[in-house]
Amino acid sequence: MTTAPTPRPARRASNVLPMLAVALVAVLIYWPLMLWANAGQAARSLASGADLGCGTALQCATQLRNPVIPAPGQFASGFQSLSVPPLAATSAPYNALVTGGETLLGLALASLLGLILATLLVRSRSFERATLPWLVASQTVPIVALAPMLAVLLGQFGVQGFFPKAVIAAYIAFFPVAIGMVQGLRSPDPLQLDLMRTYRASPAQTFGLLQIPASLPYLFTSLKVAATAALVGSIVAEISTISFSGLGKMLAENSRASDTVALWVIMIYGAALGIVLVALIGLLERLVTRWRPSA
Amino acid sequence: MATQRVTVPLAAPRPLSGWPLLLLSGLGLLGLSFALARLAAPPTSPALWLLGVLLLLLLGIFGIRQSAQGETLAARTVPAAATLILFVLAVEALLRTYGVPTGLIPTPSKVMQSLWAARSVLLQDAYYTFILEALLGFVIGAALGLLLALFAVRFRFLERGLLPYAALLSSVPIVALAPVVIKAVGLGWPSKTIIVAITVLFPVVINTVRGLQSAQRMHLDLMHSYAASPTQVFREVRWPSALPFVFTALRVSSTLALINAIVAEFFGTEGHGLGFRIQIEVGRFGLDIVWAAIVVASVIGISFYLLIAAAQRRLLPGR
Repeated sequence: MTTAPTPRPARRASNVLPMLAVALVAVLIYWPLMLWANAGQAARSLASGADLGCGTALQCATQLRNPVIPAPGQFASGFQSLSVPPLAATSAPYNALVTGGETLLGLALASLLGLILATLLVRSRSFERATLPWLVASQTVPIVALAPMLAVLLGQFGVQGFFPKAVIAAYIAFFPVAIGMVQGLRSPDPLQLDLMRTYRASPAQTFGLLQIPASLPYLFTSLKVAATAALVGSIVAEISTISFSGLGKMLAENSRASDTVALWVIMIYGAALGIVLVALIGLLERLVTRWRPSA
Repeated sequence: MATQRVTVPLAAPRPLSGWPLLLLSGLGLLGLSFALARLAAPPTSPALWLLGVLLLLLLGIFGIRQSAQGETLAARTVPAAATLILFVLAVEALLRTYGVPTGLIPTPSKVMQSLWAARSVLLQDAYYTFILEALLGFVIGAALGLLLALFAVRFRFLERGLLPYAALLSSVPIVALAPVVIKAVGLGWPSKTIIVAITVLFPVVINTVRGLQSAQRMHLDLMHSYAASPTQVFREVRWPSALPFVFTALRVSSTLALINAIVAEFFGTEGHGLGFRIQIEVGRFGLDIVWAAIVVASVIGISFYLLIAAAQRRLLPGR
């Protein structure tokens, strides 16, 4: 979490073939696993006299209404029904965009807060001694547990809609960002600081021209760590407040309605969103830190 | 930075203790809270009380600054402890000054009362959430992760095929996974144990593999020149160099384990657990119990983290 960004080791050989092989094995395991997981439920339904329109438990396993693991056909229809008008209020892509937007806004807020905190921490030793232990401890506190309550509190003060979720995402993300920024602001070596002195740079210039740029790679490394946590934060915030859009709202709805196929589909969308967010930050990093040799 | 490092030793000999200021500030805030508790209704001129609280806080900040000088044990620990105590006292005084309804933001003293009153329920919740879900899931996930990492390092094909997926899957939000697992496994605690194990698995695998590969070329060559067997190489070089990485993963996952157990409980339980308690009490506006549950969870989370950090110091001295 607090490690310095290291350049990625050079790829020796392509990973495509082994990855494909593992994916193939996963697909091969999936079919019997799905049958095995669903057969018990199917057998119970049949034994209770339900007319499922199929003979044996194994045949029924692929067409249960609420399967434990959906069959390929169910996956396909689930995906279709949840994403066909991609920007409708009930479709997963639109809601994923909303959640993604909240998370990104949260990450931006977290970067700002992290920068301020990191500056204070680097500048004042008594501030560091007074607050750093609690900042570290706040990391081990289940901060997400605060999300429902923060949502209620912010709602009391009339803050509703998009913003409270972003605040909660920022609240979860700011700590890794602050710690990363502290490391980054301290990363210029004495030689570089001496150079700034020979240029007779003011402290503000040293800060803006040397320390801030030097801390950017650290900022992005910690943002990648924080992105997933922030995404969890905004989804939990959506679940625990009155919300009209977002993946969290879809999860809560379908969890109550016991629509397992939809839950699986939303899970895959959530996973994709997490991966896309981390990739976006990586892209931004490459755009912003052009001067670094690309890792 | 560089100039600071030069001036600090010059200022250090000044033997100024922060204790009088800290005591003054703390007792003053405590006195304010008691005085406010005596009043029947919140004071009519809150600005005056606010000024008092701010002045006392300012004194406290100066006290903290003074007690943070030097390199003694007290200089390292007192500022942090004083910050927490003064913060809690100030919150108490401010909430009472403005008469914020305890149903909206409970005062710290009210939270402590609720914590004591509901101790048996909260302890039982903590038993479910921590022992059965977080700890058990942590142990299972870490053991599986270590095993998987050993296989991945032993068989390069597996490493190249599995690790990219592990890195990809570690950015999947846990809350998206939880409802599916709970629907599949059931509402009882085992479903949460599985979720925790899954979330612990990925950091452990990724870090262990990285650690096992971090052995220095020179050391490996040396072992080779000793004609060491692969088992010996593993025991003497690879495993010791992997341990710091493993512990980093364990520390990170120790906090993840508890957090994820609580989040997973938001998606359905049989009526036990801190996450369940928090969710149900938020719905009933019993925010004092919510805060009490958070205090319990924080204490457990911090202790668990410190325990693993202590184990690391014990097993890896000098790091």
